[in-house]
Amino acid sequence: MLAGGGLAVGAAGPAGRLTIDRGSVMDETRVRQLRERRVDRRTMLKGIGAGALAVGAAQAAAEVGFTKPAFGVTSTQTIKIGYVSPKTGAFADFSISDSFVLKKVRSSSAYAKGIKVGGKHYGIEIIPVDTQSDPNRAAQLAQQLIQQQKVDMILTTSTPETTNPVAGAAQQFQAPCLATVVPWESWYAGLGGNPGAPTKNFTYNAMFFFGMKEFAGTFLPMWKRVENETHASKVFGGMFPNDADGNAFRAGFPPFAEAAGYKFIDGGAYTDGTTDYSSMIEQFKANGCEFFVNCPIPPDFNTFWKQAEQAAFKPRLATVAKVMLFPSDAKALGSLSNNIATDAWWTPYPKYHSSLTGEVASSLASEFEQQTGNEWVDSLGSSYSLFEVAIEALKASDDPHDHAQVANALQHVNYSGISGPLDFAAGPAPGVGIVKPVGVQWKPGKKLYGKKFPWQEFVVDNSLNKDVPVNADLVPTNP
Amino acid sequence: MTWLNAILQGILLGGFYALFATGLSLLFGVMGIINLAHGDFAVIAGYVAVVLVPSTHLPMVWGFLVVVPIFALGGYILQRTLFQAALSRGDPLTILLVTFGLSVITENALLQAFTANGQSLDIGGLIADSINPNNVISISDVSLAVLIVAVVLLAALQLMLSRTSTGRQIRAVADDREAAELVGINHRHVFGIAAAIALATVALAGLASGMITEFAPTTGTSNLLFAFEAVVIGGIGSLWGTLVGGIVLGVAQQIGAQINPAYQILAGHVVFLAVLAFRSRGLFAVREAA
Repeated sequence: MLAGGGLAVGAAGPAGRLTIDRGSVMDETRVRQLRERRVDRRTMLKGIGAGALAVGAAQAAAEVGFTKPAFGVTSTQTIKIGYVSPKTGAFADFSISDSFVLKKVRSSSAYAKGIKVGGKHYGIEIIPVDTQSDPNRAAQLAQQLIQQQKVDMILTTSTPETTNPVAGAAQQFQAPCLATVVPWESWYAGLGGNPGAPTKNFTYNAMFFFGMKEFAGTFLPMWKRVENETHASKVFGGMFPNDADGNAFRAGFPPFAEAAGYKFIDGGAYTDGTTDYSSMIEQFKANGCEFFVNCPIPPDFNTFWKQAEQAAFKPRLATVAKVMLFPSDAKALGSLSNNIATDAWWTPYPKYHSSLTGEVASSLASEFEQQTGNEWVDSLGSSYSLFEVAIEALKASDDPHDHAQVANALQHVNYSGISGPLDFAAGPAPGVGIVKPVGVQWKPGKKLYGKKFPWQEFVVDNSLNKDVPVNADLVPTNP
Repeated sequence: MTWLNAILQGILLGGFYALFATGLSLLFGVMGIINLAHGDFAVIAGYVAVVLVPSTHLPMVWGFLVVVPIFALGGYILQRTLFQAALSRGDPLTILLVTFGLSVITENALLQAFTANGQSLDIGGLIADSINPNNVISISDVSLAVLIVAVVLLAALQLMLSRTSTGRQIRAVADDREAAELVGINHRHVFGIAAAIALATVALAGLASGMITEFAPTTGTSNLLFAFEAVVIGGIGSLWGTLVGGIVLGVAQQIGAQINPAYQILAGHVVFLAVLAFRSRGLFAVREAA
């Protein structure tokens, strides 16, 4: 083990070396900070992986970014947009629709032919980069995009580990940044704000998603309905790990539930990657928890839910967050997935139209399913909307290269697209647009509009968003 | 009663840790190889089962009939080629680096081939079955099966090492390679057999893990840590020690969790550190490690 530790220090080098921006003292300091933050074996693995894959990434970047001779000055006739997502690594589930979305967006008229801003015509270039699910790499990539590629805007998505370092870099180096698929509280806290009193404006940043209020607004109506049907007692168990999301949920969710009369049993701040949950399950059983809420990492929920079944902990309704977002999770859990409820921030069911092409949501989803063979995912809509909002903000400014102006426009976008109506000026914090999620349950698939898949998300509760039609009954997870 | 349940669950969990650690223990005990790719090999076993078992029309529970022979063969080949070449350099760091490289390559290759999506080995309703003597205690059938497999496997290995000719050769080579060579033992072949057995047990552990939880290309590393702890607690080179080490680790974690779920993983690490501090050769150390 000692030898392993010794290795780590040496091996972190290749990953760090990639990012050193020659000629800037501040950059080197920052890189060193990033490098020294944490060097364990996992980081070392990622570092080496980063080194190995960087060649490929550089080639990909070259294809889209470096083909024109670049001497630090970009063509004033081109708007460059960076797209930062976890295409590989632990969060790659979120990016399964990336290639499809990029293809669709690039073929839309705004991106293919360019747009008029302040009376001048500009072409648009999208530069996608992959964080490999590594927060340090995400920060480095954002900095590279801003300083070397001179992008005019950064779009980023999927988990605080991706969006927060990118938003931080955008704020520091003053480039407009739009994020999604991160609870707004986590995004805001990541920038250094206090979600409890969200008055501070991080002027270069905007985002659209939702927060604890909407989680509660989605889950609690479902609890109420199941409670009325089954006369379940008003006690709920919370499985919140000791990580950023877990602690945010432990602080943010129970107050809403307790206000609605539910008693909270805390399963304890366990460590991610725990292999046995018997004592937590025992605690939930002993306290008669009839409702269950969580935000673990996917493998941990898989373990927990199997052990809960073995130990006969059968909550009337399980409303889970952060897991069971994707068909692969449901497939991995098999028949135990039946009637687990979660939130969906995007579905193909409402009559929402793309602001780029006018295409309706269900058509986008079925096209995705036909082209990739995969079932639609929530992130298909949110990733697509990033590019819609970008166009709205650019059109609302006079000069696409004026970062302050474009960022300000981002914070005031008010439009309707594939994710429905979004008003960035009306959110809980400056520059936050709230998406209204709906409650969904996993059930064996049936043909709704396109293909039939083994497990599908059906909308069972639309308390927050009546635009999304309910297409299945809310059934208790355990009768 | 809840404490009794915690200890029972700890023993069951320990069975899984012991099964996971057997291959690691064997490779280190015989050849002095610290296999950093151990956890990743277990993940490969899961993917092999996902890909191959459905085409054989066997139920997933019987998947080991397919995966274990493949891994045994793979283990022998790996030892005779890559590992032997690294061992022949004579520098213990070389083999460590080789297994580390294998770990990195494995993770990235699996990512390319299977994406980061989690997978699980679906054994149907069997996963939910349990024995419930009362309202508090519940013993999962699968976990019990894993514990039994671990005990039987370790007993069989111990018997093989002490009673059979191959076992005596393995012990001879592990104790003194030069002397063994002098009496006509081909140590490369013996190492290959030991690696084949080790990889076969890794396959079993990977399948058990795939049934109990979910795996993805990058999950191998986290299990490796527990396997290491089980080996070190039990004592390097002792197979029974590995079983005891796994159980001590499992029970420590469960007792920690019973006090507060936040202490579950920590309690295991504390016991590990305590063993290192007060009995650095482990509870059942038989000899100084090679």
